[in-house]
Amino acid sequence: MGTTYSKEEILAQQLQTAFEHLITEVVRKDTVFAFATKEQVSSILLYAKEKLGYISFVHLSCVDWLESGEFELVYIIWSPETKINLFVKTRLDRENPSMENTDMIWRQINTYQREIREMFGVEFPGFVGEKEFILEDWEDAPPMRRDFDTLEYVNDTFFEREGREDKQDVRERIAKRSGEEIPDFAKKYSRE
Amino acid sequence: MYNDKNAQTIVDYIQNFTRKNSLFMLAYGTGCGAIELPATLTSRYDAERLGVRGAATPRQADLLLITGYLSTKTLKRVIRVYEQMQDPKYVIGFGSCTINGGMYWDSYNTIKLLDKYIPVDVYINGCMPRPESVISGFQELKRLIAAGKADGAKKYKENLEWYRENQKKVLKNWPLVEYNW
Repeated sequence: MGTTYSKEEILAQQLQTAFEHLITEVVRKDTVFAFATKEQVSSILLYAKEKLGYISFVHLSCVDWLESGEFELVYIIWSPETKINLFVKTRLDRENPSMENTDMIWRQINTYQREIREMFGVEFPGFVGEKEFILEDWEDAPPMRRDFDTLEYVNDTFFEREGREDKQDVRERIAKRSGEEIPDFAKKYSRE
Repeated sequence: MYNDKNAQTIVDYIQNFTRKNSLFMLAYGTGCGAIELPATLTSRYDAERLGVRGAATPRQADLLLITGYLSTKTLKRVIRVYEQMQDPKYVIGFGSCTINGGMYWDSYNTIKLLDKYIPVDVYINGCMPRPESVISGFQELKRLIAAGKADGAKKYKENLEWYRENQKKVLKNWPLVEYNW
């Protein structure tokens, strides 16, 4: 008798056999990551759905890796038989990001793609969906990008109530009032 | 009473007395605060004993509650709803989000000061205000109505250009109707 493989390792092996140069990682029980290239994603999703029984689409999200100049798309799919969450991750270039349309595999992806297009500016060529999703009349940069300065936008657009200055360091005033001393280790957290 | 010099005062008194004791509140929740209203209106806190009850449409309502954060998308509808309401009409800003932005003070899509866009008669602070504070806000509004000081609608009519200017600052490509009263 040889070693027995867990269901997660079997899935990782199955994916690696089917796709060349695919990196897989068993993160913990019931969770497997697959790091794919942009071109591989739709075939992995289709293969997992049709052959491996990953029939349930859970989520599609986007992560902004500002430092490395990339967007990461994460497709999460789930199988009711093995109960494994399979994360298919892919990296896109941050300049003019575009990704293949996959809403013919699961039509729920359509909604997620609309959100990602609006919030991160990732384009999905050939994808039919209303341009506006949550935002209306938005003219600025996509707001979920990390280089979009929310505070600056808010200060330009909305009003501030007068007579209130936030972020004041009141600890010294309180300590003085109640006759206490601020310990040395706490002084380095002073905002001044 | 016909030639009485206090006639207008007496009419005002009766008018305000009747208005303050039958406030019809529009059943329209904009943010998370709307969840406090079922508790306020039902048996435990029972706001109806104070003359406050729900109304189905803007034209039947006297009172508009902005319950919690107000996104710019909802602000369009709130302005529309407020302008549909018939005089006398009152607005209560509910929760800290309407006062200074609250926890959404740096959000790109929620307004921070409600009284720049529509006139507010009473603010209720808290995040969330409990039904006791909501009822206390209603009582404060009733006190203002009895004193004839709840004149938000009049303010809106007189300073419509100023409100429109502020509204257009956030609602760029949205047709705001020029009403005449």
